[in-house]
Amino acid sequence: MIQYIIRRILYSLPVLLGIVFVTFTLARVLPGDPCRAVLGEKATDQVCDAFIKRNGLDKPIPTQFVIYLGQVLKGDLGDSFRQGRSSVAILAERLPVTIELAIAAMILATIVGIPLGMVSAYWRNSPLDVVTMVGANIGVSTPVFVLGLLLEYLFAIILKDTFLRLPPSGRLTSGLVLPSLAQAWGLTNLTGAGATTIGFLSKLYIFNALVTGHWEILADVLKHLILPAAAVGTIPMAIIARMTRSSMLDVLGLDYVRTARAKGLRVRQVIFRHALRNAMLPVVTVIGLSMGGLLSGAVLTETVFNLAGVGRTLYESISARDYTVVQAFTLVIAVFYVSVNLLVDVLYAFLDPRIRLS
Amino acid sequence: MQTTEAIPIAPRARSFNPYWEAFRRLRRSKSAIVGTTILALLGFAAIFAPVLSSYDPTLPLIGVENVTKRGPPCIHLLGCPSDQPEHYFGIDGNVRDVFSRVLYGARLSLIIGLTTVSFAIVIGTGLGLLAGYSGGQADNIIMRFMDVLQAFPSLLLAIAIVTVLGPGLINALLAIGIVEIPTFARVLRASVLSIKELDYVSASRALGGSSLHIMLRRILPNALTPLIVQGTLGIATAILDAAALSFLGLGAQPPTPEWGLMVGQEYKNIFNAPHLTFFPGIALMLTVLSFNLLGDGLRDSLDPRLAQKGFEGRV
Amino acid sequence: MKSKWQHLATFIILASVVLAACQPAATPAPTEPPVPPTAVVAPTEIPFTPMKFEATSCDYGGILKSIEAVDRLTVKFTMCVPDPAFPAKAAFSAFQIYPTEVLQSTGGGGDLIEHPVGTGPYVLEAWNRGDNVTLRRFDDYWGEKAKSATVVFRWSQEGPQKLIELQAGTVDGIDNVAPDDIAKVQADPKLQLIPRAAFNIFYVGFNNTYAPFDNEKVRQAIAMSIDRKRIVDTFYPPGSKVADQFLPEGLLARPTDSKWYAFDPVAGKALLAQAGFPNGFETTLTYRDVFRGYLPEPPVVAQDIAAQLKANLNVTVKLVQMESGAYLDASDAGEIKGLHMLGWTGDYPDPTNFYDYHFGAGATKQFGTKWDDITSRLTQAGQLGDEEARRVIYTEVNDLLKQHVPMIPMAYGASAAAYKAAVVGAHASPLGNESMEVMYIPGQDTFVWMQNAEPIGLYCADESDGESLRVCEQINESLLAYEVGGVKVIPSLATGYTANADATEWTFTLRDGVKFHDGSFLDANDVVLSWDVQWDAASPLHVGRVGDFSYFSGLFTSFLNAPK
Repeated sequence: MIQYIIRRILYSLPVLLGIVFVTFTLARVLPGDPCRAVLGEKATDQVCDAFIKRNGLDKPIPTQFVIYLGQVLKGDLGDSFRQGRSSVAILAERLPVTIELAIAAMILATIVGIPLGMVSAYWRNSPLDVVTMVGANIGVSTPVFVLGLLLEYLFAIILKDTFLRLPPSGRLTSGLVLPSLAQAWGLTNLTGAGATTIGFLSKLYIFNALVTGHWEILADVLKHLILPAAAVGTIPMAIIARMTRSSMLDVLGLDYVRTARAKGLRVRQVIFRHALRNAMLPVVTVIGLSMGGLLSGAVLTETVFNLAGVGRTLYESISARDYTVVQAFTLVIAVFYVSVNLLVDVLYAFLDPRIRLS
Repeated sequence: MQTTEAIPIAPRARSFNPYWEAFRRLRRSKSAIVGTTILALLGFAAIFAPVLSSYDPTLPLIGVENVTKRGPPCIHLLGCPSDQPEHYFGIDGNVRDVFSRVLYGARLSLIIGLTTVSFAIVIGTGLGLLAGYSGGQADNIIMRFMDVLQAFPSLLLAIAIVTVLGPGLINALLAIGIVEIPTFARVLRASVLSIKELDYVSASRALGGSSLHIMLRRILPNALTPLIVQGTLGIATAILDAAALSFLGLGAQPPTPEWGLMVGQEYKNIFNAPHLTFFPGIALMLTVLSFNLLGDGLRDSLDPRLAQKGFEGRV
Repeated sequence: MKSKWQHLATFIILASVVLAACQPAATPAPTEPPVPPTAVVAPTEIPFTPMKFEATSCDYGGILKSIEAVDRLTVKFTMCVPDPAFPAKAAFSAFQIYPTEVLQSTGGGGDLIEHPVGTGPYVLEAWNRGDNVTLRRFDDYWGEKAKSATVVFRWSQEGPQKLIELQAGTVDGIDNVAPDDIAKVQADPKLQLIPRAAFNIFYVGFNNTYAPFDNEKVRQAIAMSIDRKRIVDTFYPPGSKVADQFLPEGLLARPTDSKWYAFDPVAGKALLAQAGFPNGFETTLTYRDVFRGYLPEPPVVAQDIAAQLKANLNVTVKLVQMESGAYLDASDAGEIKGLHMLGWTGDYPDPTNFYDYHFGAGATKQFGTKWDDITSRLTQAGQLGDEEARRVIYTEVNDLLKQHVPMIPMAYGASAAAYKAAVVGAHASPLGNESMEVMYIPGQDTFVWMQNAEPIGLYCADESDGESLRVCEQINESLLAYEVGGVKVIPSLATGYTANADATEWTFTLRDGVKFHDGSFLDANDVVLSWDVQWDAASPLHVGRVGDFSYFSGLFTSFLNAPK
């Protein structure tokens, strides 16, 4: 098992290196003069000469890459030109929203998708099955931003005067303030990594509200999160439902299940004890693969619902020509995605001994 | 986000045409039927757009007709007074007819899907064949590169590429095409690997057949099935990604009547002019749905394993 | 399975990881709130060493000659040439006063952009990037304390979105109601609509250093071929007007009977053919997608202009959308080729605010090379006190602008703010600087205001975007101010001023006992240094956010020691 994990990690190292190389290339290939892109249009030639020397831009490309690699590993992802502060600080600020959105979407997708898939598999070809599968198909085919807009219209306008009303944008109703964790826990004079971490945790509103006991705020945050999570989570939900259904069907037809039923085990026992566990394997893979879709969907959903998350910040930084932030965020997202895939592979191996031993 | 499977078709001894069998299964597949029907309607709309639409999709109607900016749909059959000009889908923010724009958008979306997937298939096939057939270091390098490409979520990678190239429809198509290459490369490589060691290939080689001959005559036809399936699904993804890029302002530029762009320009007015978001959005959904259904139907009918089991209800 | 190559690669990667990680880690700079002072010493007990900054000679090309702290509460400005508009300029937010210690400790930039310290009725509590700016009441304010204890600035670029929030009650006031929504607000008894007079101009500009717009005939041809009335009637809210000149109505010394080119596409096409483009040409139109009073829907208007130019002149226009901050920076640097759409909302009620900022000798490179016949006249008019004499010169300037066409004046855009009906003190300023300290909802101690965009920076000396200026105006103050909701100049940090006979010397008397948010007291040195860091390009504190200080340069013609 350990061997397998180590093998998988070593296998992904070249991929990680490749990612760093791609983001490095990205910044070098972007249009415009790198000095003026960072220091602004007013930078004189003298200032730019100094900038180029200081950042080693006159050295050969391989040297530059090694320097960049070193910076990345030290956690220095550069400073944002537009905002004048480090990309890591901006990341710590924006990441919590996207994380909450992604987790909520994934939970929604799993909680709704798996039971739907199971039920469809069990009552195969019934009207319920047909409706579910057609719905899943439609869910996969609707662009995330269209879905988000339709949901927004439905719940914020059409259902405006009912109890089903949901807010159309933002994370929190304005006027509601969630104090930082540093305040709540009486921590003062934090600097450096500690301050960044506490700041990051404070911006995870759900975690913050849970830990400090602000229940009304927790409810408000959750209400704001429902629509975006539904928009982002629909595609994974549809895929999970279909995948669950098909692998359940595969398993339900297998010999040992028929044997179990012949032995007189009740259907529910059969499903939960035997079929489900084995059917979960491909579903776990799908969950991992869906992370990429979640991150892509996050960009669009954050734009539609006006959330200040990583996706939208990346997109805004591109428009604002803030190349350091673009580079930093792309790198972080890709590394995160690779890590999730790694995790899924390990999980898969854990669940299925056949993989480990191969 | 469709998974790729390698589907080896074992050579049959009988002179039994697998393709005709597949086609008969396809005709019975409900999803393929629905998908093809919608696609046919779409194709009809795309081809005959100039005839079906009564207005120029990029011409503002200010001064030409007495209509209000962002006006609601006016359909005479559904009660709109007959002295008002008929606009099935209403008027957009630049006082243009939305119905005409949606029709021309069909044309654009189909072209987008076909070109990006063709580009990705050509390059992906080349890479996959090379990787699978050569094996060893070439295989390693190419597949590592595909891994790196797939390490980025597809839309974000497309955004990154478009940033480098500059916004515009052509650049967006290139970006989406590049993002789709790994899928096809893997399909081809898997097909190659499954066939490479089979007896009849070794026999071909022993008989002096050149590599190229083997690749074209033996391996490619085997890979055709998954390519067709993956290609159809790839068109769906391409249309979605192009719409997303245009929605963000990185793809098609105004006044092009691309559906994603239309939503991107008017979504802020969803509360007072929902028809401007709704019609292009539904058009997008139906188009992508048709390709997904067709792809599913193709997969079900072209994959003999599933056909043997007969479990999957063909929805 | 693992080949030698893979072993080697893995070793190299691990080695570089170890090497790189072995170096000391860089910690990101902490962001801390301003440190409160430990003890407050009464101002009269501190010995006062007055500051003075002086230009060696008036040949440097600017208006200012010297800024001097005469004593602790008196500041004297000496000009090279008469500047009768100086009080109106001094009231403007770009010339706010900061404590000398803060300017020095931040180096004139950096932290100053995000944590300004001022004398205003509100203190910056937090700037939650991407989400809101929160201000809290300054209890030691020299004037009447703010009515609402907390003010929250939020923003949304989507006009209809703002109205949703207002109707839902999540915000208390919004700026720039979308034209389609004005009727809705008027019909709703829970809301009040406050119209804002059109004190702005929307124009389409050209940079004359890029072909084919270096040809005056081309610019004139385009000016004749855009139907501006169609744009105003279709895309602007009621109350907006087609612009007949660059200056909006209501300004003193404004030329009367001004006539812009009539819409005549036939003549335009003929002129374009004369200029050498009988079949048109290809160009770009650059714009930013932000909602402003002068331009409510940029993408829509841009598409219409493109459609018109194609139809009337066969000029193919490709639309280029840029992000707001990048757009302003690029436009100021003179980098935008082709056409561009921009506008201007008046900051203070004098033609110098409109003319000098854009076409004066100290203007940015937005329109390319400046015209001497225009700049000389503007300099002249800026020094006169008599309104009619100025009107004569401005009429000449207007005619020259029509001839040279650096830009096509399109519209004066009416706009409106909307508030909950319960808001007391609701107003809309024609200058776009609403005073949050007079607005409140009885029984509520937070006031939430939603504008069009996030501030770009909070150091107003180096900002020109109204969304940034409105926020820093609550935190910092200038020597003078404008009355709430109006344009009249009133005392602020200065209780009054005197001028000499020819308006070359202006002496301001500062208010005594004014405290900054950090507890220190206002004195003349703060005023002098705050002005000098903008004026003197050689000062180490002349930093800002990007270093443009475009208002100073536009209104006072030149920096001291400006780089060539």
